[in-house]
Amino acid sequence: MRKQGLAAASTAALALALTAVAAFADDKPTYGVLMKTLSNPFWGAMEKGVDAAGKAEGVDIYLQAVESDQAAEPQLNACNTMLQKKPAAMITAAINSTILLPCLKQANEMKIPVVDLDNNLDPAITAKAGVDVAFHIGSDNEAAGAKGADWLASQLGKNAKGPVLVIEGLSGNITGKKRAVGFATELKKQAPGLEIVASLPGDWDSLKAANITNDTLQRSPDLVAIFAANDDMALGALEAARAAGKDKVIVIGVDGNSNAVKSIKAGRLDASVAQLPFLVGMQAVQGVKKVLAGDKVPEMTYVPTLVLTKQAIEENKDPLMQYVK
Amino acid sequence: MASTASPAASWRARFAGGAALRLESIVVLIVLSGIMAALSNVFLSVSNILNIVLSTSVFGVLAIGMTFVISSAGIDLSVGSILALSGVVGAILTSTLDWPWWVGILGCLAAGAFTGAVNGFLVTRGAIPPFIVTLGMLGVARGFALVLSDGVSIYGLPPEITWLGQGRPFGVPVPVIVLLLTALVAHVVLAHTRFGIYAQVIGDNEGAARAMGVRVERMKVLLYTLSGLLSGLAGLLFAARINSGEPTAGLSYELTAITATILGGTNLFGGRGSVAGTLIGALIMGVLQNGLNLLAVRPFYQQIAIGAVLILAVWLDRINSREGWRR
Repeated sequence: MRKQGLAAASTAALALALTAVAAFADDKPTYGVLMKTLSNPFWGAMEKGVDAAGKAEGVDIYLQAVESDQAAEPQLNACNTMLQKKPAAMITAAINSTILLPCLKQANEMKIPVVDLDNNLDPAITAKAGVDVAFHIGSDNEAAGAKGADWLASQLGKNAKGPVLVIEGLSGNITGKKRAVGFATELKKQAPGLEIVASLPGDWDSLKAANITNDTLQRSPDLVAIFAANDDMALGALEAARAAGKDKVIVIGVDGNSNAVKSIKAGRLDASVAQLPFLVGMQAVQGVKKVLAGDKVPEMTYVPTLVLTKQAIEENKDPLMQYVK
Repeated sequence: MASTASPAASWRARFAGGAALRLESIVVLIVLSGIMAALSNVFLSVSNILNIVLSTSVFGVLAIGMTFVISSAGIDLSVGSILALSGVVGAILTSTLDWPWWVGILGCLAAGAFTGAVNGFLVTRGAIPPFIVTLGMLGVARGFALVLSDGVSIYGLPPEITWLGQGRPFGVPVPVIVLLLTALVAHVVLAHTRFGIYAQVIGDNEGAARAMGVRVERMKVLLYTLSGLLSGLAGLLFAARINSGEPTAGLSYELTAITATILGGTNLFGGRGSVAGTLIGALIMGVLQNGLNLLAVRPFYQQIAIGAVLILAVWLDRINSREGWRR
């Protein structure tokens, strides 16, 4: 019995310790923010932007995320739980374009404005499901891919020749697809001699990207460049290429996350098309404040992107550099 | 006859009646709920309680199938993948091929049951350990789900199917009703029918079960088919909730289902199982997740909490079984 009491007490103590970190409500309006996973620095930076804007605008941020960017059903459950708290608005980064629809529809019914963070919702599908989105905000992913191709052509010249590898995101994910398509289309225009020999899904996984790189190098040892649809995969591809002794292969990522910045500064990763998630998070909160005040907000807002290279970081001339975290 | 009837009767007495339901699980559930209720004023509202059971429904149904398999000293690691495959099959039948809704439902359940039966045949006829068979099937079923759907989710199911996920007769979500009905039937089957008791007897001592005349091979095929069928049902609920067949649905749900089963007092090595316990185990996980979400605890801590509660609950069981009845 004594031992049982001890165990029960420790259960309670554990639960209390874990809940002690919880925030307590006050009378400020609360914005619910539902993200994918905070273990990706991209979402971490966006969280910081949301927090900074929340503090500046006098708003409480109630943030939730799930364990991985494939945990679709847990995200739907977290969304339903968020509705229980009746936030003033819901800013959501859906894991895919369908998973959150039932929850968002309910938010509509409760007159809670819904914001699509980082363009994860497909307007055609939300319209079909009868979900009303106050506004979409994020980066233009196709333009980000195109910027990567543009920069690559500027480095190698219009007449450059050689094989190029494209590593896409998770198969079926719209973001990764747009980046890869944007890159391929622009590369064809800018430097038609650079041939994309493979375009494979790396599932946002750095190890998978490394394996794809190794496999492609077996087939095309003269590879000149790799474009990966996010930085994690670009860093994985970079490690694999360098380990294989290919020091000249140009590696480009997308996101401009802190790991990529570190690698670029160290002279390893060549470039990353920065998505400025900090700025996206900030502007999302500012937009919601306008919507709640009854002001008009454009239905689709594209936050600008920026090509990060060692030179660009060291010169630090672009005013957007302050949002690179 | 008399000589075989008497051990059968004693086995029946030992495995029947859901005796394996652990008091500790209920205590953990009540203590956790009490803490959450004290810290969040939303927690005990009816809509939130329904919300908790709703979020438990998909992996709860998986865990019920898992309870049968684990009771018989087996394991089914393929449930999450079968869930995805079934959902994709149902979505293709109704959304892509435009067949009626009931074909979709039957196709969904049949895909699950068939895949489960394949598991069962490989375990018995192939004499391959269940861990290996179902680990292989975890990949095979997921692969088929990706191939059939071309890696993309298939959106837009008939309203009759989405009602199963989103409908609320009398304010109660349909998946909650499905979960509770499934649990009720499964509890009776496991605790009060020959099928359920034989499953536990096989888990306790396969040789003895065989000697007693239990058709072990046939039982095992049926058990894996049942687990597959329930995975198909979970796949149907999942697809209905989100109105699409998702090839990446249910990743790592096998671990969630196993956790709920063990939390509920089913012995990981077989011989003792309780569906009521599994339901409580699933609710413990649902309450924990929901409460921590309501309290805005960072998601990183949530994983620590769920893991810690699993270890604690099993530890409580150990302490108790040292003092009381021991197998």
